[in-house]
Amino acid sequence: MSLVTGASKAPTAVSPFNDSVGYVRAQLRSALLDARNPDGGWGYSRAHRSRLEPTSWTLLALSQAEGGIPDVSPLVRWQPRDHWLLDVLGVSPNITFNAIAALTLAQAEAGEPLSRALIQRLSRARGETYVQAPELRQNNGLAAWSWIQGTISWVEPTAWCLLVLKKHRHTSDERIKDRIADGEAFLVDRACAAGGWNYGNPNVYGTDLIPHVPTTAIALLAFQDRQTHPVVRAAVARLQQDAESERSPMALALSAMALRRHGVSTERLESMLTDACLEWHQQADGIENLHASALALCALSEIDRPLTALTL
Amino acid sequence: MNYPFPVSRREFLAAGLALPALAAACTRPYDPRSFTLPERSAVGLFPASSYATDFADIIFRGLRELRVNMAGRRVFLKPNLIEYEPGTAINTHPLVVAGAAIACKRAGAADVVVGEGPGHRRDIEYLLSATGLHDHLREHRIRFVDLNHDDVEIVRLRSWFTGMREIALPVELLRSDFVISMPKLKTHHWAGMTCSMKNLFGTVPGAVYGWPKTLLHVKGIPESILDLTGTVKPQLAIVDAVTAMEGDGPIMGRPRTLGFIAMGRDVVAVDATCARVIGLDPRKISYLKSASRFMGVLDARRIDQRGESPTRYATHFDIIPALARLRAN
Repeated sequence: MSLVTGASKAPTAVSPFNDSVGYVRAQLRSALLDARNPDGGWGYSRAHRSRLEPTSWTLLALSQAEGGIPDVSPLVRWQPRDHWLLDVLGVSPNITFNAIAALTLAQAEAGEPLSRALIQRLSRARGETYVQAPELRQNNGLAAWSWIQGTISWVEPTAWCLLVLKKHRHTSDERIKDRIADGEAFLVDRACAAGGWNYGNPNVYGTDLIPHVPTTAIALLAFQDRQTHPVVRAAVARLQQDAESERSPMALALSAMALRRHGVSTERLESMLTDACLEWHQQADGIENLHASALALCALSEIDRPLTALTL
Repeated sequence: MNYPFPVSRREFLAAGLALPALAAACTRPYDPRSFTLPERSAVGLFPASSYATDFADIIFRGLRELRVNMAGRRVFLKPNLIEYEPGTAINTHPLVVAGAAIACKRAGAADVVVGEGPGHRRDIEYLLSATGLHDHLREHRIRFVDLNHDDVEIVRLRSWFTGMREIALPVELLRSDFVISMPKLKTHHWAGMTCSMKNLFGTVPGAVYGWPKTLLHVKGIPESILDLTGTVKPQLAIVDAVTAMEGDGPIMGRPRTLGFIAMGRDVVAVDATCARVIGLDPRKISYLKSASRFMGVLDARRIDQRGESPTRYATHFDIIPALARLRAN
C-alpha cells in the first residue's frame, strides 16, 4: 500500500517543526502500511509473524494519524484460548499484550464485545504473591498483574492492565474496582525512592534502584487520574528530569504521551522524537522496529488531538 | 533493573540443595543421546589488559589455538546486554563483540549475526545506542537481532531440570549453526556467578515469557541454566573478563579489572575456570556441578589450559554474604 497524502492530517500551523512532524508522520504511516502482513496484522519487524502488541499499537497509530476509528478486524479474528488472545500459539497468553489489545478493540464498535470479554479476563488475572524476603524492601503480598500467568507482578503489566480497567471503572463490576485498588497499591509500593519506576523492585539488598524512563512513563499513563498523589507528582518530576536522556523513539514517544496527560509541555520531546525518527529512517541499516514506529506515530499524531485509547 | 523475587535467597538456596535430589530422583533428567561428556577440554585465557586492545586479533588467535572450525557456518554471537548505566561493567564490552565478529569472519564464517534479548530493558534502540554497540556493529556491517521480539519456534528441550519439556526460542538463533556465548564475567546474587551458561537467559524471548525472563526464575535459575545450555548448545564461549564485576552482581556490583579473554568450546569448563579465577569453587555452584555429569568438564585436572595460566589472574572477588558458601577454601 502506498502513502495517501490526503489521509494524513495537516499540521495546524506552518513552521519548520510542523513540516518535519508532518513528514515524519507520513513516513511512519507509510512504513507501517507497507509492513502489514497478509493476515492484516503486524510483526515486531517487517516480514515477521503478526503479533498482538505491534498489531494493536499500529491499528491505534494509523487510526490516530488518519483521524478515524481503528479497523480492529485483525484483532477480532485473532486466535483465542480461554478468553485470551494468544500472541504465540503453544505458550501462555501474554497478559500485558491482551490489555493493549483491549484498549485498541474498545475504540471500535466492532471490537467492543471482545474488549469487554478481555477486560473481564484481565480483572480475574492476578500475579503470584510471595513470602516477604529481607533483601527486598517491598510488599510481596500485593497481587497486581504479571507478564504471564503463574509469575510475579511487574510494573509494566500492571500499568497497562490498570489503565484498561480504569477506562471501564464506571461499570457496576465490583471486581474491577477492587483490582484497580490492587494495581494502584502495587505501583505505589514499587515506586523508586528517587521518584518513578524501575522495571520491578525499588530496592534490593539495601540499594535503591534507579527509575527508568519507559516504565515510569507507562505507569504515569495509568496514574493520569491521580495527579495530586505524592508518588505520582514525584514520578512526573523525575520523568521531566530524565525524559530527554533516553533518545530512542520508544522512550521519547512514551514520555511525551505520559507527560502530556499530566499537563506538562512536551514540545521539546516531540521535537526530539521527530529528529530521532528522521535519523532512524535515514539509516539504511536501521533497526526496523514496527512497535516503536507505531508508538512514535501515536505520540506525534497526538499533537493534533489526544489518543482516546490512552486517555481517562 | 529487576530482581527475581519469585526466587528469594532462601528459595534459591533450597533450590540449590534440591537440584542434586532431583537429579537423583530422575536418574537422567536429560536426553543422553544429545550429550557427549568430553574426557578433557581446553580453555584459553588470553591477556587483554584494557579495552584498548585488538580483540579481533586476540580472538582469532584463540580460535586457532583451540582449533575451532567455523568455515561456512552461520555464526550467532550472544553477548550479555542487560541495561546501561555509565561507569558500570554490566554488559559485554562492544569492542569485544565487534572483535569477535571480525575474527569469526576472518575464520571463514559464512554469516555473523549478533543477537540478545535484554533481560531488563525492552527498548533495544536505547540500549544499543547507549552502550555504543550500535555504532560498532554498523561500522563492521554486522546485523543485530532483538531476541526478545523475534519470531519464535517451540522446540523440545534436551534436558528437563525445570520440569518443562519444550520452550519457545527465537527463529534467528535456531537458524544459526554455530552459537557463541559471549558473557561478561560477573558475580550473580542469585546464581553465584554468571558466565557463558547463565548468559543464555538472554536467548529466551521476553515477549513470550516476560521480563526479566520471569518464567525461568519461577522454574528455578540453576535448573533453567541447565536446560537452556543443554538445548541451545553453544559451540564456543568467549568471555569478557577484561573488566569483570564483583559484589552484588549482575547489575549493582563493582567493576574489577582482571585483564583477560577466556575462550573454550566446553562452556562448563570455561565457566569452571572463570569461577576458580575469581575465588569460587565450581563444585559448589549447583548448575556447574550438575552440568559436569553430562555436559562438560569441571575437574581442573581434566582441563587443558591454553594461553595464560589461571593462577596468573587468580583472585578473590567480593561476594554478597549470602553466597559466602560458594568460596573456594
